[in-house]
Amino acid sequence: MEELLKIEQLQVAFSTEEGPVEALDGVELTILQGTFHGLIGETGCGKSVTGQAILGLLDNNALIKGGRILYRDQDLLRLSPRKIERTIRGKEIAMIFQDPGSSLNPLFTIKNQIEEAIRLHRKAPAEKREEMVLQALKQVKLPDAENLMYRYPHQLSGGMKQRVMIAMMLACNPKLLIADEPTTALDVSIQAQFIKVLKELKEKLSLTVLYITHDLAVISELCDYVSVMYAGRIAENLSMRDLFKDPRHPYTIKLVNSVLGATTTLDQLEEIPGSVPRLINPPGGCRFHPRCEEAIPVCSQEAPPLREIKANHSVACHRR
Amino acid sequence: MNSTLVEVRNLKKHFPSPAGPVKAVDGVNLKIEKGTSFGLVGESGCGKSTLIRVMLKLLEPTDGKVFFRGKDITGYGFRQMRPLRKEMAMVFQDPHLALNPRMTVFDIISRPLKIHGLARGKGELMVQVVETLKAMGLQTEHMIRFPHELSGGQKQRIGVARALVVEPEIIFLDEPTSALDVSVQTKILKLLDKARRERDLTFFFISHDINLIRVVADTMGVMYLGKIVETGPKEILLEDPHHPYTRGLFAAVPEPDPDKIITEIKLTGEVPSPVNPPDGCNFNPRCPYVQSRCREIEPELKELADGRSVACHLY
Repeated sequence: MEELLKIEQLQVAFSTEEGPVEALDGVELTILQGTFHGLIGETGCGKSVTGQAILGLLDNNALIKGGRILYRDQDLLRLSPRKIERTIRGKEIAMIFQDPGSSLNPLFTIKNQIEEAIRLHRKAPAEKREEMVLQALKQVKLPDAENLMYRYPHQLSGGMKQRVMIAMMLACNPKLLIADEPTTALDVSIQAQFIKVLKELKEKLSLTVLYITHDLAVISELCDYVSVMYAGRIAENLSMRDLFKDPRHPYTIKLVNSVLGATTTLDQLEEIPGSVPRLINPPGGCRFHPRCEEAIPVCSQEAPPLREIKANHSVACHRR
Repeated sequence: MNSTLVEVRNLKKHFPSPAGPVKAVDGVNLKIEKGTSFGLVGESGCGKSTLIRVMLKLLEPTDGKVFFRGKDITGYGFRQMRPLRKEMAMVFQDPHLALNPRMTVFDIISRPLKIHGLARGKGELMVQVVETLKAMGLQTEHMIRFPHELSGGQKQRIGVARALVVEPEIIFLDEPTSALDVSVQTKILKLLDKARRERDLTFFFISHDINLIRVVADTMGVMYLGKIVETGPKEILLEDPHHPYTRGLFAAVPEPDPDKIITEIKLTGEVPSPVNPPDGCNFNPRCPYVQSRCREIEPELKELADGRSVACHLY
C-alpha cells in the first residue's frame, strides 16, 4: 500500500511560564492510503498535538524543533501558513474535533456552512453546490437531509452535529481525515451509529483516517494500524491485531490490560503504578522507565529508538 | 436476605423551564440492600446524577419518598439531615472541581471529622486522616500538599478518602473514574473494592460505562429518560437482558477485542426530550418491538421469577 502521510522525528516544544514543555520528542509514524490509523495514548501524551502539527494548527507558543511531515512527498512543515490554508487544510487533509458543538458556527445554517467549505476548496458552480450538500448529508445517513440542511446547529443533537462535520469534510473530498476524539462527547448508542457510518465510508470511499483517541475499544472497531504514544514519544507502531494479540512495549501491554471489557474481572485488571509524567521536566532516558517493572539501568540513561521487530511492527524499548 | 438500607419510592424531580417541566427523574423505585454494591447505568441526560442528588437530599424531590434504614427522610430539613450526612457520603465525578484548591489534603480530609465531632483533639484527628490516606495508597507526606500538586488519580483518591474517613454506611459514587485515564482508573477501582470488603460498606455507583458497572456492582439498574427500565442481579441482566433498551445499550458497547465487532445497531434514533416524553412507555419511539399498547399504557416495573424487575409490556 502507498504511504499517504509520513511523520519523521517530529519535535515540538511549547514555551510556557514554567519553561519549555517538550510535547513531542521524535514522533514517527506512517499512514497508509486507504487505512484507518489509530493514535492512542492517555491525557497529555501529545496525540492531539501531533494532529494539530500536521495541519499547522498549533498554538502560537509552539515551536517546531525538528522533523518532517511528508504528505505525498512534500514536507508540510516547510509550507507557508497561507499555502497550507489554500492547498492542504480542508482540501487534502481535513480535521474533525472532539466537541462538535463548538466546531460549527451557531449563526449559520448547516447548508450555509457546508456550502462555504465547498466554495473554498472545490471548483463547483453555485447551482451544483446545494446538490453536493445534500449528497454529503445523505452519505453520513442523516435523516430528512432536505429539511435538515436549513437548520441551525443548536437544533441538532451532538451525534447529528458530529455527522454534519463528517459531511462537511466529505463534501470537500479530502484524501486524509484527522479525527480527534470524535466520539468522546457522545453516548454509546450514538457512538455506535457514528462508528457504523465511518465504517461504511471506509468501504465505499476508501477513506484514510488518522483516528486520535484514548479509547481502545473504539480503536478495535475501526482501525487497521495503531500508534501508541506515551509522554510525547511513540512507544509502539503496530497493527490493530497485534495491539491486542501481541503487544510488546511494557506500556502497551499494561494499557491493553487496564481496559475494561465485557469479560474482565477486577482481579485481571492491571494497574500502572505512578502517573503520567509532566513534560516540563520529563524523566531522562525512556520516559516510561519510572513506571516500568522491566526497567534496567540503561533505560534511565538512553532513550530507546523505534526498532522494527517484524513487518508493520516497531517498538521503542531496550528490553525488546 | 439482606436488609434494605436505602429505598426510593416513586421518586420524581421536575425542574421548571420555559418549555414546561423537565422531568429529569420521573417515578423511580429502587432498593439498595446493605452490604451490596448497586450500579446504575444510563446515558447522559437520563437523570442518574439528579437521582443521586435527590436521594441525598441535596435537591428536594417533586414527589415520592426516600427511606434510609426504613425511616422516611423525605421531609427532613438541613438539621435533621446532618447526622445522616455522616452515614451517606458521596464521591464526585470531577476530582479537579470537588476539592477546595485553598485547603491542604489534611484540611480536606479532616473537615468532615470536625463537622461531625468524630475526633477528640488534633492527635486523634491526625491518626484517622493518616489511616485513611494509607487505605487509599497515599503517604503521610501528602497531607501537607494542596490539590494542584496532585495528579488526577491522587485527587480522586483524596475524594474517596474524604468520604471514607467518617466511616459511612453507604457511599454514593457519581462517575468516580470518568475523568481519569485508564491506567489510573484500575487503582481507584481496586482500592474502592478493598475498602468495601474491609469495612462492610454499601456502594451506589452511577456511570454511563456499562463495563465499569459490570466490574464494581452486584446489583445493576438501567435508567432511561427518568425511569428505571430494568434492574436485578448483575449476572442475570448481563446474561440475558430483557428490556429492549437494555439490550440495545449493551450491544452498543464496543469491545476492546478485534474479534468482537459491533455487527448490529439495535438502538436507532435519539433520546427524546425529558420536557415532553412520549406517552405510554417512553422508549416506544425507538423500540423495535413496539405494539399499540406501548403508546398508550405506561408499563410498570414488574418483578420476574428470576429476581429481576423489568418495565416492559413484553414481560
